[in-house]
Amino acid sequence: MLQAHSLLWNYLWVAPHLLLLLLAILLWRRKFHRQYPVFLIFAVATAIGSLAVYAADEIRSVSGNTFWRVDWASLLVDALVKFALIGEIFGRVFGLYPSLAKLGKSSITGVGVVLVLLATLAAADTPKDNIHGIVSGAHILEQTIYLIECGLILFLFVFAAYFKLSWSRSAFGITLGLGVSASVHLATWALMANGKFPAQYRIFLDFLNMAAYHVSVLIWFYYLLVHGKDISGPGEPPPPGHDLEIWNQELERLLHK
Amino acid sequence: MTLAIILVIAAVVALGIILRLATTRGLQAKRRASLAATIRPIDIEAFRNLINPAEDDYLRRRLPPAQFRVVRRERLYAMAAYVHVVADNAAVLVRVGQVAVASRDPRVAEAAQRVVNDALLLRRNTTVALLRIYLALAWPNSGFATVRVVDRYEQLSGAAMLLGRLQNPAVPVRLSAPL
Repeated sequence: MLQAHSLLWNYLWVAPHLLLLLLAILLWRRKFHRQYPVFLIFAVATAIGSLAVYAADEIRSVSGNTFWRVDWASLLVDALVKFALIGEIFGRVFGLYPSLAKLGKSSITGVGVVLVLLATLAAADTPKDNIHGIVSGAHILEQTIYLIECGLILFLFVFAAYFKLSWSRSAFGITLGLGVSASVHLATWALMANGKFPAQYRIFLDFLNMAAYHVSVLIWFYYLLVHGKDISGPGEPPPPGHDLEIWNQELERLLHK
Repeated sequence: MTLAIILVIAAVVALGIILRLATTRGLQAKRRASLAATIRPIDIEAFRNLINPAEDDYLRRRLPPAQFRVVRRERLYAMAAYVHVVADNAAVLVRVGQVAVASRDPRVAEAAQRVVNDALLLRRNTTVALLRIYLALAWPNSGFATVRVVDRYEQLSGAAMLLGRLQNPAVPVRLSAPL
């Protein structure tokens, strides 16, 4: 069952991307593109890119070299759109607070620069896992992209948690899905890009990657389509009166002790 | 292979942190009702005294250098404890303000926005202040100032009181008169 081109393998490769296209259509109908235009671009571009790679893998007339070119193109577009999406989430979550905007921008820029440096050093230190440069290069590129993505998403979560900022349901869901996928992919591509990892176990990492992505797509479905409570959403009740009284008592003690 | 293992460990730790923060977010939403009760009182005059440079100068003149460093470190530990409480209170006010921002009353929403912004600024300042305190612990003779934290805290108190008055005029606001 856990073999390349098995039914499960085909399902895990194709189904999440078809679901992502379906999600994009449903969100478009709900005018979600006005809120998160880059997410819709991400959903469509990633799904089409991955399905193109799948098609290149399945069609026998496609040469190995062409397959890897398609893979590279898909990877680069995917990375570009993902980083734009992280920027969009950052703007949505932190742009609401002028007092944090400058600190947030300089922090994420600093973290981004450090992550690019770390990813470059890691790429330079990673041994080639294949005699063909285009193959090992793709693996190293995956490791590089996921290292930067994982670091940026972790920064978003930690920064928001430190300042106790509330997330909208949609921003939280998108970031959580990206975070789960990026961290699992970072671990698996770090192993796969390494030449010493036993070849017979690589298929398990493929399955793990695809399963993690499927979970991410389901997370996006849940948070973007199922209505739930937003922590800062409209209609939230103000703190009850007796809480405010306690609050004022504490502040009174603070100022006049 | 060492690099791969390091990256795998980093990825697992990142995933753990992300999932933990995601779970905490859910729990925070459930505990929101008792937010204000978590505010801890601060003796601001004692804190002002602790950060007063004149007090430090007086102690420096009166005490032998070795003893001064011991006393200075104790005062810095006390300062750090105060600043931690201020940071926690600011975090509570961020969350209280964020709930009130969604109010239908534009005056309440505006006051809440101000509370959130002031509280975020205060929390940022407390982080810087703590860094300075820990640096000063290593070099007790160095100069040090956390006055901005105190000023910001008082400013935040004013904004919080205004929000309280707007949200619930029936509750007497005892802070307004003495100010």
